[in-house]
Amino acid sequence: MVLGETRKPLTELRRGVAEYCVLAVLRDEESYAFDIVRVLAQAGGLVTSEGTIYPLLARLRRDNLVTTSWRESDAGPPRRYYLITREGLAALDAFVADWTSFRDAVDAVLTGINRGVA
Amino acid sequence: MDAEALVHDYLGRLEAAAGSLPPSRRAELTGEVRQHIEMALAEAGGRDEVTVRNVLDRLGPPDEIVDAERGAEGPPPAWAAAQPAAPALPSGWGGTEIAAILLLTLGAVFLPIIGPLLGLIFVWASVRWTKRQKAVATGIVVILAILPIILLLGVRAGGVVTSGQL
Repeated sequence: MVLGETRKPLTELRRGVAEYCVLAVLRDEESYAFDIVRVLAQAGGLVTSEGTIYPLLARLRRDNLVTTSWRESDAGPPRRYYLITREGLAALDAFVADWTSFRDAVDAVLTGINRGVA
Repeated sequence: MDAEALVHDYLGRLEAAAGSLPPSRRAELTGEVRQHIEMALAEAGGRDEVTVRNVLDRLGPPDEIVDAERGAEGPPPAWAAAQPAAPALPSGWGGTEIAAILLLTLGAVFLPIIGPLLGLIFVWASVRWTKRQKAVATGIVVILAILPIILLLGVRAGGVVTSGQL
């Protein structure tokens, strides 16, 4: 892959943070894929292809960051609910700390550039 | 294409794209996406072509969904597996090369004929030296071996053989 030619910064950023956004959605209550997607979509631009939520959830499950259980639903077939695990919470906390300092650093540099130009 | 055919076509493309996944995961993924489509259509309250197209568009291209199985920094998919790295060529000298040199030099003094012959065996057993280097070594040994004979013949022809020499 040639950097600068095929790179899409937003796509890559989104891919990098998507799983932590999912963990954040699950922090306070368990949920199912369809609903997680809806929350992320409403937050704005966090999911472009809704279908990618399934591979992402499968990875979180493999990494023991979430567990699942099937529940009956009022409408339609049973749904697979996702619950955050202790490891998931730890991973989320670590990411929140990393993200905050990362975001501040990027913001500082970007505003610095703006100031320099103006 | 009618609405049902659109869904069918989409799932077919997803299944094809998921060919590189383990069979159990492939079945699970297509099942999940199928259920997602059903839920989205139920929520939209219609199964007309426009509704179905919107639902499938929001799902994203099947390739992209399968690509997401790799994650942000996961290993590349099977089809992009790197060629196995070429084995590193050993460099420098190992035991075989040192033995070869010793037998070809000191061996020629202390074990005439046998020493250099053994040395050549070690030369050809080396994995570090190239064929060309081995051929050169062999050539030198052969020339050194036949040189005395040539000299001897020359001396004989010159008729200066003195008694006691060979």
